[in-house]
Amino acid sequence: MSKYELPKKFDYKDIDILKQFITETGKIIPARVTGVSASNQRKVTKSIKIARFLALLPYTDMHQ
Amino acid sequence: MKKYEAVIVLNPNLSSKVDNFKKDFEKLLKDNSFNIVKSEDIGRRQLAYSIANHNKGHYILFNLEGDPSKLLEIETKIKYNESIIRHLFLVVKEHNGEDSSLFVESKNKKPEASEVEKDKEDVKKDPEPVKEDVEDKSEAKQDEGEDNE
Repeated sequence: MSKYELPKKFDYKDIDILKQFITETGKIIPARVTGVSASNQRKVTKSIKIARFLALLPYTDMHQ
Repeated sequence: MKKYEAVIVLNPNLSSKVDNFKKDFEKLLKDNSFNIVKSEDIGRRQLAYSIANHNKGHYILFNLEGDPSKLLEIETKIKYNESIIRHLFLVVKEHNGEDSSLFVESKNKKPEASEVEKDKEDVKKDPEPVKEDVEDKSEAKQDEGEDNE
């Protein structure tokens, strides 16, 4: 049913998995749209934020 | 003793001096009684946004064990090291013994360059393997396209 590839353990280094959960502009897609469980959504969010800090993912598409 | 995962992004202009930096950093860790479980040299990567006017960074990943009180000393040293453009220490419950996806990706990328050369040699012998490679790539691209939809 889930159209997302969910790993057993979320990791900020699995960029390909995390990229499914951000929009083209770099925003995190809300759980009401993704349909992922609340627990998993929290893990995704946390991983994305770490990956952003390490410049693995963008914060926005407006970076100069 | 706590288990840590450290990511360090180095100035890409110093990529050739990575080995020197690694030695220094490992020495710094050992002086602070940190134990290096594993280290992964991911290599140069495109940054998602520029940091200190750098568009690329040299990523190195460490799995560490050590004392939380000593970590502060390490971090203060890192702060004043200009070759490090970004660093992050994370506490982890367990060290994942497997290679990280970033490392695997960088590994796959590097051999490709040498494989291309090999493929060229193969072309002379039999062109079939090269064609298969091309098909694989196109399939991968299609998969990505589906994900985006």
